[in-house]
Amino acid sequence: MKLLGEIDEVMTTDVLVVGGGGAGLRAAIGAAEKGASTLLICKGLTAKSGASLLAGADLTLDGRSLHELGFPGEPRDTKDKFFNDIVTQGFYLNNQKLVELYVEDAPKRVKELLEWGIKVNFSEQRAIFTSGSSILSALLKRAKEVGVGTMDDVMLIDLLTKHGRVSGVLALNIRTGDLIVFRSKSVVLATGGWHKAYSPNAGSRELSGDGIAAAYRAGAEVANMEFVTFCCNVLLWPPKWQGIIFPYLLHLLVGGRLVNSRGEDFLNKYDPTIVKFGTSMEWNKCFVSIATALEVLAGRGSPHGGVYYEPGDVPWEEFESRVTKYYPSWRYKGIDFSELRGMLKEGKPIEVGPAAEYFEGGIVINEKCETTIPGLYAAGECAVSLFGANRIAAATTEMLVEGAIAGESAAEYAKRVVMPEIDEKQVERLREKVLRPLEREDGTRPVELMKKVQKMAHEKLGPVRKHDNMEEFVRFIEVVKEKELPNLCVSSKTRRYNKEWIEALELENIVQVLELSAKSALMRTESRGVHYRLDHPYTDNDNWLREIVMRRVGDKIDVITRPVVVTKLPPTRGVVPYMEMMKRMMEAHSEIGGHH
Amino acid sequence: MSQRKVKVKVFRFDPLVEREPRYVTYEVPIVEGMSVLDVLDYIYENIDSSIAYYAHAACRHGICGGCKVVVNGKLCLACQTPVSGDMTIEPPSSFKVIRDIVSMMSEDAGGRV
Repeated sequence: MKLLGEIDEVMTTDVLVVGGGGAGLRAAIGAAEKGASTLLICKGLTAKSGASLLAGADLTLDGRSLHELGFPGEPRDTKDKFFNDIVTQGFYLNNQKLVELYVEDAPKRVKELLEWGIKVNFSEQRAIFTSGSSILSALLKRAKEVGVGTMDDVMLIDLLTKHGRVSGVLALNIRTGDLIVFRSKSVVLATGGWHKAYSPNAGSRELSGDGIAAAYRAGAEVANMEFVTFCCNVLLWPPKWQGIIFPYLLHLLVGGRLVNSRGEDFLNKYDPTIVKFGTSMEWNKCFVSIATALEVLAGRGSPHGGVYYEPGDVPWEEFESRVTKYYPSWRYKGIDFSELRGMLKEGKPIEVGPAAEYFEGGIVINEKCETTIPGLYAAGECAVSLFGANRIAAATTEMLVEGAIAGESAAEYAKRVVMPEIDEKQVERLREKVLRPLEREDGTRPVELMKKVQKMAHEKLGPVRKHDNMEEFVRFIEVVKEKELPNLCVSSKTRRYNKEWIEALELENIVQVLELSAKSALMRTESRGVHYRLDHPYTDNDNWLREIVMRRVGDKIDVITRPVVVTKLPPTRGVVPYMEMMKRMMEAHSEIGGHH
Repeated sequence: MSQRKVKVKVFRFDPLVEREPRYVTYEVPIVEGMSVLDVLDYIYENIDSSIAYYAHAACRHGICGGCKVVVNGKLCLACQTPVSGDMTIEPPSSFKVIRDIVSMMSEDAGGRV
């Protein structure tokens, strides 16, 4: 096609899905089942990338529905109880319309996955445990059955828009360096979180917020960007294990003890109720990460910025038999942890700490998973989370629920509209910008800037926050935007699998989402969920039951706040000390057991 | 932790501009508990950023299979292979080379390289 002279390839489809993890695959299935021609592009290998692949993986739904699916579940559970638990765990910052959808649709999504052949390892009252790869293989098989086309190693560069609606995307074939225009009636973004903005992080390497940044640049609303979940007890050392969450799972499922550099069981100084919920449920990501970061800040941390995990008082034989019940032969995913077994048995220090793992903030969606741009849909972690300020239930179910809705909505939309025209000027501007790091002779090296940004993000925008640090971080990001991003230069000028070039492109997105996150975090003068501020250590339900929503207008960020969407459960009022609020939210939990 | 160095000989080849592959040897300081992927990261970050190895979407958990390489003649996953001493790293021979040790792991970019 001669339409776009300098572009290597143009492809046309009704619905384009960006992202090859669970949300993207489920969206593609939903669109194809509605009869839309559907193409999915994945930055890595489809069904073998994204946070979905690394998920535990649990699927959460109310216990009664689980019981009806043939598992023990918990017949006394109700959808209302599950709804209430999700909203209180989210410190009332949830969009309750989306929580209703989640509670209603989760059983349908789990049922179909069982039909599509996922392997269930074990179940609880409200959850079944499988693996990320099992979910993804089942979804990929189904996607192929319904005629979804997939392309691997293709990175989103930017959304294309014309007359205020989406007309497709510009993307990069990472293998060849070719630029591809995908012309489509609608686009579903399912690009996941922005783990790579932090070091350490618990994600796979491609998660750099590409979709959120692109949506923001295109003028879509994004919200709740200040909320970042740090998984606790993530391995910090040695290098090959950095970012792997295995001790988090051991601490939650098997037990053990966390000590600081003085050998103190530092969780002991907290309220026993908080410790109980905060170590036996996924509340630990919120509570233990904050407690660990406070130890490190007080100078009682380990050399790599964490604390130590040990088997504790459990006799070794019992500890090991519990571990191997879940992880036979100490094998976790593709990793042989027999070396870690030896270290634990011999009492060698194992450094663990908080690592960025889940992003509550993202692109604003409604109950149809529509964004604020016509033709653009979002699902999964790149969309604003229905879990509000703190996620306890499974993101793997969220991705399926939203994926299905987004795919169907995108297909319905595609039926109503004609194929949009491509704005050639926009494509040309983008093409020039993308190629610039290859053309510069001298400048900032992407790897150096990446390391600097990741380190600063962890230090200044980590689990424990305060005004001065965040202000310093915002200034840092502004300098990076002004002086370093426009000056990135790569050493090899080839377009063929050029890692440095990919990182230069990712940095644009990482810096963009960090700017939004830091500015939101500065603005939210309270502590709520995973956003904990030393200078505002209380939850302000009188002023801050509001979302911070950001949108690009020219070069400026247009910021508004708006009240959270409430349907059934009116939020609590008053200003409450943060730990007291956390305790109340924990105690609000129904009698239903398990880790969620 | 003792700081020792290993010699890492890496297969380099850009089929678009080079007629045949060459090998480049890098000296990499090693700490206890480094994988082959960590060594490649070290080279990329500190010695030669032009090196191509499948890392942009690596899962590091031994599941995605993206980092498959041949180390001292043996096919393995770079992220799950510990470093023991000097080594030669090459692409998996059964796949078409894209650049250096990155090869075609799936046909899903429309089969085009």
